[in-house]
Parts: sequence; structure tokens; C-alpha cells
Amino acid sequence: MIKRTLQYGFIISIGFPVVFLLVLSLGRRWAYPNILPEQISFANWEFLQQSDSKLFQAFFVSLGISLCVAVFVTALGFVISKFIAYSQRRNTFLVLAYIPYLLSPVIMAIIFQYYFIITGLTGTFLGVIIAQFLVAFPFGIIIYLNFWNAQLKSMEELSYTLGGSRWQTYKKVLLPLSKNALMLCFFQVFLISWFEYGLTNLIGSGKIRTLTVSVFNFVTEANIFYAALACFLLILPPMLLLYINKRFILFVEKTEL
Amino acid sequence: MVFSCGENKKQEAVDVLSLSWEDIEQQANGKTVTMMMWTGDSKINAYINSFVKPKIKNTYGINLEIIGGQGGNIVQILMTELQASASKSDVDMMWINGETFYQLRQINALFGPWTDKLPNSKYIDFENPFIGMDFQQPIEGFELPWGNVQMAIVYDSAKVENPPMNREDLLNFVKANPGIFTFDNQFTGLTFLKALLIDIAGGGEVLQGDFDEEKYNLYSQKLWAYINQLKPYLWRKGQVFPESVAQMHQLFASGELWFTMSNNDAEVDSKTAEGLFSETSRAYVPDFGTIQNSHYLGITKLSGQKAASMVVANFMVSPEAQLEKMNPVIWGDGTVLNMEALPKDMKAKFQNLPSRTKAPQRSEILHKAHLELAPMYMIKLAEDFRKKIINP
Amino acid sequence: MKKLYNIKSFSTLLFLIIVVLPVFCGLVYATLYSFEIVGIINSGFTTKHWEDIIQGSAFWSSIGFSFYVAICSVVISLIFALAMALSWKKNLQKGALSTAIYLPLCFPGTVMAFFMFQFLSKSGFLSRLGFASGVLEDINSFPALINDAYGIGIIITSVVLITPFFVILFSNIYHTENIEAYKELATTFGASKRQLLQKVTLPILLKKSSVTIYLFIIFVMGSYEIPLLLGRQSPQMISVATVQKIQRFNLYDIPKGFAMSILYVLIIMSVLLFLYFRNRDYFKSETTK
Repeated sequence: MIKRTLQYGFIISIGFPVVFLLVLSLGRRWAYPNILPEQISFANWEFLQQSDSKLFQAFFVSLGISLCVAVFVTALGFVISKFIAYSQRRNTFLVLAYIPYLLSPVIMAIIFQYYFIITGLTGTFLGVIIAQFLVAFPFGIIIYLNFWNAQLKSMEELSYTLGGSRWQTYKKVLLPLSKNALMLCFFQVFLISWFEYGLTNLIGSGKIRTLTVSVFNFVTEANIFYAALACFLLILPPMLLLYINKRFILFVEKTEL
Repeated sequence: MVFSCGENKKQEAVDVLSLSWEDIEQQANGKTVTMMMWTGDSKINAYINSFVKPKIKNTYGINLEIIGGQGGNIVQILMTELQASASKSDVDMMWINGETFYQLRQINALFGPWTDKLPNSKYIDFENPFIGMDFQQPIEGFELPWGNVQMAIVYDSAKVENPPMNREDLLNFVKANPGIFTFDNQFTGLTFLKALLIDIAGGGEVLQGDFDEEKYNLYSQKLWAYINQLKPYLWRKGQVFPESVAQMHQLFASGELWFTMSNNDAEVDSKTAEGLFSETSRAYVPDFGTIQNSHYLGITKLSGQKAASMVVANFMVSPEAQLEKMNPVIWGDGTVLNMEALPKDMKAKFQNLPSRTKAPQRSEILHKAHLELAPMYMIKLAEDFRKKIINP
Repeated sequence: MKKLYNIKSFSTLLFLIIVVLPVFCGLVYATLYSFEIVGIINSGFTTKHWEDIIQGSAFWSSIGFSFYVAICSVVISLIFALAMALSWKKNLQKGALSTAIYLPLCFPGTVMAFFMFQFLSKSGFLSRLGFASGVLEDINSFPALINDAYGIGIIITSVVLITPFFVILFSNIYHTENIEAYKELATTFGASKRQLLQKVTLPILLKKSSVTIYLFIIFVMGSYEIPLLLGRQSPQMISVATVQKIQRFNLYDIPKGFAMSILYVLIIMSVLLFLYFRNRDYFKSETTK
């Protein structure tokens, strides 16, 4: 009985932030000690109808960047990780991949900002995609390295023995077997990119306004209602993903895919 | 190769300045100008977004793009660009003053002198030392005066009947009412510290001119001793200071603080109209005085849009734009124009602006205004504030 | 076969270019800058910034504070996660709870930090509830949980973000490692409930997840968004302190910021190598088994 109550209490407290942010995003004027904002209306949400509003654009900028980064990392990581997985120096590569994966992205951005300026990439959409790619790619490699194993390798070799071409082997054998790994990598990288702030803000020179960057802008403006709204928009896609398939929302090393 | 590239840039810079204003306007058409500014105030952002941007777009066909950033942030970006020999800057113009101007001049990141070129510069009151000098430095055409403000302290008259007028008053006041007074650890708070430093030194004249280390050490020691006396009675016992003036305003709005501060004497009116501050909020200037200073517009040396930036700047100091900006319910930023130089009807419009209701009239606080100190004072104060008060 | 060989070396090259080169180049620039060898306002080679950083207290107290926050966050999360994973094991596999536990993973640090600020600050939601119910006399009797000296706000936020991760991790290990079977075996030898927990369940769970736990400590140490919103000027976590050195007020502090970032990178690298040599098994591949 106590266990049940605790569990329900827990579920409710997990859902609370979502409701709280939603209410705050509808609010205006919230002086102490009022529990709720004085006005509740859809006024803050009207941006949805204006395609030139900042939040509307931020949502799509974020979406565009995250999709690009996720696609590139998923595709390129798949090919490269396969060679690394079967290489003699696999462990060296793995440790190398862990370095950027473990470093704070904002510190990475600080040390390579100079090169982005030289190449004229700061403040551009492309620059932010490349910077996020550099941070997310090692993670993609780590995900895939958990996936390649001896069994897969022998299946692949079997395909060659039976006369399959490289292309056929990829298409008919490897890709179907890798569907889950590919999905996992795609969604994980999408989320990393979707959540990123420090690096995006530095390399984007503040010009590339993603949703997370907007949250911080609204916070510095002390505009908590818009910040809450931007926060709510930020958690929507992950929640959608959770609804579709919760397994893609987190990556646990050394588990079966 | 590198050499010839540099030559070209020089060539172009000379070209913009040798063009006639008509040519400059023509060149500006259809361009996009990126301006970096402090975006920590929704009223200011609204003025830029719903007044300046559309006007510039409709009149000159220029797109104005705003990015957030101030002070060290601007300097760091421009410096890294110069270092990387970037051919073009990400930033065309920016809102600066004081120590940012000083640092940008040091690294030679500013374009200029360009301000004489603007038709509207004839209205600007360059003779006024509060406008023509920025933190004791002559502006020399490298930045354009945009607004002029005096710092004021804001309090809630429902809670505070007689706001403290001098240092001793303030100390007694916070002792009697602990936890309701503080200052932020950025520009506004530092400007407040400067006013105290001037008071301790015995008046503005003592610290005039270039940075004087000896004087600084002497008076700042007394300043920190005074702040340490206040510290236990400040908000959160002086263990922590608000990160920004926006945060301090929030704390004041929610009632956690009884005082906040503003680098703009008229801000209390716009913030009350906005509904953030309570109707009983008032602004005042204590007897020890506060700093009056101006803020400016600069153009980056590596800007690819110098002509368009000049056109934007020219609009921003036009009587029309200055009038709108000075309206207390819009922004309430003081003008840099010389009323005597304006056409009669314009002058009348300025005089007929809705008057301040919660802030004192400018004329009443003018005699308590101090000139800004040399930038090094601010840099030193910021450093010592961190070392001696925040992290002793 | 030659073609395959080419693809292989091409892949390796690409890997090095994407993963190793940027960090390496970044470190080179940061090193040059920290010694004032490059930089337009810098005056030539000097070691003074390195001396300042290594001998001064600011860097080490930032590292220390980051470490303290990370340890507290991870340990508290582990306690909660173990309790939940073990006492709710059935419900975590099926039903509402099994989905709900994933929900916090939808929250980026930025959003969770913003929420915590609005929830736990002196004028936040909790304080308002306290005031309305008469528990609080006034706003100042609410404890300082945000921008506080002990990083309480940062720790709470991190705990909320990583606990679900550990719950799912433990719940998975519990099933894949078939701990139930070990427990039955131990019970037949007369082990008590307490012994089961201390000698069987906990050791297996913690051993299997040890490297992940270490990695999380490193992640929390490097976190930026959360301390940026909820932290304060002093003490400051390392990412925030480094960015601030590079972007604020004093231009002559920038080399120090770079020196700090290099030291941080070196510390992380040595921890990684240490982990690697101590936990070869973890890094060992499935392919070479």
C-alpha cells in the first residue's frame, strides 16, 4: 500500500515540471506571494500564428540543426565505426573517442573557436552544425562500438563467401540487422544537439538562435513567461519520442540492442 | 597575398568616408546590418524591434539584425577575429561605452573617425562633457553618442518612507532593515560603487583624469572597509550578489528587495508602466550623487557593412528616433541632442514629452551628477570586488 | 582487397580528422595563447599566467567545487536509484512507472535548471506555497537553495536529471545479470535478506555499472548550463569559471582562461587513462572475445 502511494506520488512529481512550465508559459505578472500568475491567457502562445516571430523561427532552426547533425553522425559513424571495431587498435580509437565525449562542450568550443573564426564559420548555420558534429560524432562511435560484434562479422563474411557484393551485403545483411543501432544513434545525437547551449551560443556568436539559446536570452531579459514557453517547446520533441519508443531516449553502454 | 588583402581593406575604409552621404545611403540599400547589444531589458528590446527596425527597413531598405552581447563578450569576439585575420566581422555595429570603448581602442578594433559624416551629428551636444567624453576619454569620432542617463536608486515608497541620503544613513538603514538592499555584480553595481568611491575621495574632481593607482589604492581601501560594514546586512548577508540588474529588478518586483538600481534615471516609469514594478515605486538620487554617463554606437573595423551601419546610426540619433526613445513609457533614455540646435517644432515636441511621474526631473538631480572615471577604475573595482568582497 | 585496404585507411584518417585533430589543434592554440606567444595584445612569451593558475587558489577551488558537486550528485542519485530499482523492480518493467521513469530524460539541463529556479528560489513556487499555508512568516525565512554557497540547487537539479538514468541502468542489469538466480542460490545456503543485499545484489550492480558511474562524475563536473543558471560567483564550477575568464571585463585574463581550459582537459584525459587501465574489461571489445 505504502509502496503504491509512493509510486503514484513519484509519477505525479515527475509530471509536475511539465504542468508547471505549461502554466507559467500561459502567465503574465506573478508577484509574490501569489501562487499562480495573475493573468492566464494564450497571449504568449500567439507566436504560433506568426511565422516571423522569434520563437517560431527558433523552433525550426533547432530542428534543422539537430536533424542535420543526427543524419551526418548516424551515417558517417556507422561506416567509420565498423572499420574501427574490427581494427587491431580498436581500444586506442575507443579511448580517443572518449576524450571529446567526456569534455565539456563549452570548453571544446572555447579552444577551437579561433579556427572557426579563421574559416569564417562563426555565426553561421553551417558552423554550428560542424561544431555540434565534432562533439556528437565521438558519441556516435561509442554507441556503434557497443554494437559491432563477432557474430555480425561472421554474418558479413558469410555474405561475401556466398558471393554477395559490398553493396548487397550492406543493404541486405548489415543494415537490416543494424536498424535498432542506427535508430538509437540517430535519436541520441538528435537529443544532444537539441539540448546543446554553451557551444552553440559561442560558435553561433549569438546569431544562430536555437531554442536553448532563446531560453537563456529570455532568462537574461527576466522574461520568465517566454522562457517557460521556450522550455516547453524544448521538451516536446523528446516527449514525442518517448511516446513513440522509450528505448531510443537513452543509451546504456554494454546492453543488447 | 596577406599584404594585398590588408591594402584592399584599407582602400575600402577610405572609400566609405570619401563618399557623399547620398552615395552612402545608396550603398546601404538592401544590406543587412548586425548589431550587438545588451538585450537584458524587454523595453529596450521592444523599442529596437518595433520602432527602429521597421523604420530602417521602410526608409532605407536595411535589415537590422540584433544579437545579444556586451562588454567583454564584444571585445573577445572582435579580438579573436583580428587575431585570426578574419576578412569580415560577424558584428557590424555595437552598443558600447566606457571600458569597452577603451579596450576596443586599445586593440584597434573600431572603425573611424566616422561620426562627422552623419547629417544628424550637427544636432549632437558634443560640447557637453557628459556626452563628448566617455569615461574621461575623448571619443574622437570613433563612437557616436546615442543616449545619456544618470544612475538612480529605486525604492518602494510603501515600505521605505525616507530613503537613505548618505553613506551613514545607508549603513544605519540596512542595520535596521537587514536583507533588503544589495547591488548586482555587473555594470550597474559597479557604477554604484564608483559613486561611493567618488564620495569617499571627497568629490568628483579628486579622481578626474587618468587612472591614478595611488589614489585608487587609498580610497578603494576605505570603500571596501565601508562595504564590509554593510555586508552582513545586505541581501543574503552579502554572501551573494545578483548576477545582473535584470535579476535585481525581479527580486525587487517580487518583494524580496526593497531597493533596486538603474543606470537610467527614468527606468522606474517604464518598468512600472510595464507592470513589473509596483505603483508605489520611486527613484531618487542620494546626496552623495550618482554617475551620469552616455552610451554610444560603434562600428567595427572589420565590418563589411560600414555604409549601412552609418545610415542606421544616423537614424538612431535623428530627432525622431531620439524623441521616441526618451518617452518614459517607451524607454525613457535621455537624449544626446542639443535642444538649442534643433528646429523649433522639434524642440517643442521634446519639451512636451509626457513627464516622469515616479522619477525625479532631470533638472532636479543634475547637480548631483558625477562625471565617469577613467576606465581602469572600473576594471580595478570589478577585480577587487571579486577578490575582496565576493571571494575574500 | 587493395580497395578495402584503402577504405580502411580512409576511415581511420577520417576518424582522426574528426575526433583527434580538433582537440589537438584547439590545445595548440590554447597553449600558445596561455604563454602569450600569440594574441594581439600579448607581449611575448611569459609563464606568469600558468604560475598564477597553478599557484593561485581560484582554479583549484573551482576544480574542487566541481568535484564536490559531482560526487554529491552521483552518490545521492545512486542511493535513490538503488532504492527505487530494488524495491520497485516489477513495476519498473511494466506499467505506468516503467514509462514515467523515462520522462525526466526529456529535460535538458537548461530546462530543469530553469524549472528549479522558479520552484526553489526565495520567491519561487515552493516559497509561495509555504507562505500561503502559513509555514513561512516572510520571504526571507525560506532557505537559500539557489545561488547558494553549497551548490544545493545545482546538486538537486543534477540528482533529478541522473537518478532516472541509474534506475533504468540498475533495473536492466538486474535482469540481464540474472541476479534473482544468484539470490536464490545464496538463500539455499542460508543467507539472510541483509546478506543478500550486501553480498550479492549491491556488489553485482555496482561492479557492473562502475565505469558508467565514473563517467557520470566527469559529466557532472563539466556541466555548464546548470551552474550558469543556479550557481554564483564564488565558488564557481570549472566550465563557468573558464568561460567567464575568457569573456569578462579584463582582457589580460584571457590567457589565464586558456591555461585553465588546458589543465581541465589534461585532468580529464588522465582520469580517462586511469579508468582505462583499471577497467580493461569494460573497454574490451565483443569482437576480440
